[in-house]
Amino acid sequence: MSIAMPSPFVADPYLDIDDYDSDADLMVLNLGPQHPSTHGVFRIKLILDGEIIIKAISYPGYLHRGVEKLCEKLNYAMITPIVDKNDYISPMINEQAINMAFESLMGVEVPRRGRWIRTILAEMQRVASHLIALGTFAMDLGGAIGGGASLFMYMFRDRELILDCFEELTGCRFHYNTHIAGGQRHDLPEGWSEKVKTALAQITQHLEDCKQLVVENPIFADRTKGVGVITQQLALELGLQGPIARASGVDMDLRRDAPYHCYDEVKVNVVTESSGDTWARFMVRLREAQESIRIATEMVDGVPVGPIFAGKVVKTAIAIKIKEGQSYVAVESPRGELGTYLIAGGPKGISPYRLKIRPPSLHAISAIPYILPGNNVSDAIAILGSLDPVMGEVDR
Amino acid sequence: MTPKLYQQIAPLLTPTVDADGNALPITPEQVVNFGMMVPQNKHLALAQLLKEAGYSIYVTVVASHWEEQTVKGKSAPDPEHFEVATVVRHPGPGATTTFSWRVRLEVGESIDSLVSLYAGADWQEREQYDLVGVRFDNHPDLRRLMMPEDWPGHPLRRDYAIDTSHFPWR
Repeated sequence: MSIAMPSPFVADPYLDIDDYDSDADLMVLNLGPQHPSTHGVFRIKLILDGEIIIKAISYPGYLHRGVEKLCEKLNYAMITPIVDKNDYISPMINEQAINMAFESLMGVEVPRRGRWIRTILAEMQRVASHLIALGTFAMDLGGAIGGGASLFMYMFRDRELILDCFEELTGCRFHYNTHIAGGQRHDLPEGWSEKVKTALAQITQHLEDCKQLVVENPIFADRTKGVGVITQQLALELGLQGPIARASGVDMDLRRDAPYHCYDEVKVNVVTESSGDTWARFMVRLREAQESIRIATEMVDGVPVGPIFAGKVVKTAIAIKIKEGQSYVAVESPRGELGTYLIAGGPKGISPYRLKIRPPSLHAISAIPYILPGNNVSDAIAILGSLDPVMGEVDR
Repeated sequence: MTPKLYQQIAPLLTPTVDADGNALPITPEQVVNFGMMVPQNKHLALAQLLKEAGYSIYVTVVASHWEEQTVKGKSAPDPEHFEVATVVRHPGPGATTTFSWRVRLEVGESIDSLVSLYAGADWQEREQYDLVGVRFDNHPDLRRLMMPEDWPGHPLRRDYAIDTSHFPWR
């Protein structure tokens, strides 16, 4: 349980330490860059008064690889495998986001079968991503809480079922490169839908076990309830989206609000919680995974007949040309709004002039200076885990 | 976009200029996503207007560097400049929920920061300052975000070669 501060402590992200109580015995603690709870390489400088955090200064950038600069030099068809590595927990959705941006400027519409397959892949990827989020969060809370480390293993086991389906379709376990501007590279193999339904049914069963293992565990509830509260107002101000905002009561989901792919043909129930603490974020992910399983199971039966690619099949890397234009296209990734701002018009129209990826994780961890102060150091790990950042996407 | 909002936005846009240098009236076709150019001093006013109209979520900011280039049909080349595009979002159901506008900055000019309106602009603007080198006025904490603090230059500028070698920094 977190120790209450003597007076209502209001976190000030721009707090000047010189203005803080001059008698206090302050300590600086470096969390990261090499710390398992940061889910990558991410450093937070914590300034502590006793065991209470009074200021948290974040230093991202340890994984900066210059993806946006690289994309300016590559042809459009070569960019897809690069962005796979941004959010390596959900590469399918990254591929879709970037190719939808290309398609919006090319004026190409993907055939219905292609879009339908994309929807199924996106939902399965969301399940896989949320499984990792749930497992690593339980692990972050400490393996000894009665189910933490076990849940971590179980979730990875279940994710493997989905990766098997993806492997059968694309040949890769992740970094698929199965999307291309205009449609899909790989058509569904024979008997794929049966395999998907079996896998998803198994995962449904296992998520029920997960509930018994963790959600009904009083220690888990003690560690998470009321910790790291993001109010609805703060979520809106910081531009948070996805499960984090929905856990704070922001009823928003791009799949329902601005439908892309085939989301206008299925019913998407938006999962929200109101408390905005780490518990709510865990529960939103758990229920969203169940919702995604429902959508994918429903859709995999009714895949329409038709082509999966619009127009001629792209055979060379420079076959995709975009002369000029600007567009912003956003999709709902498991972490929030994943957007691509594309300024076309590079040399000869075969590469972008400027490409900006709007990573949801960057917005998520920009909440850290607001929600860490006032908490215990041990709660900092729980809060970080509940934000579920992917540093490959933050730093790009 | 509602007609009322259009009435409010239209005077803030940069008018197009005809051959004699006279400003042409703003047409509805100019008030479209990704096509709107706004002068630098109206940037904050437009953001304020949109926030009051319900565009409460800050999505992203994109700065881009444009080298001097020749323009078809004009003798003088277009000088080196920067462009800053901002995207905001209206939460809730609706087909076109994003709104985007662009600001042109000459070399040496800076742009107003939107942190006072949208707290989420903080890191986004720091990132663009870091990678492109556009300065944001009245930003509370304008430091580099991705690159080390002593890094020379801004990597996402067009004249920053991709194969420049740098001393290993740590």
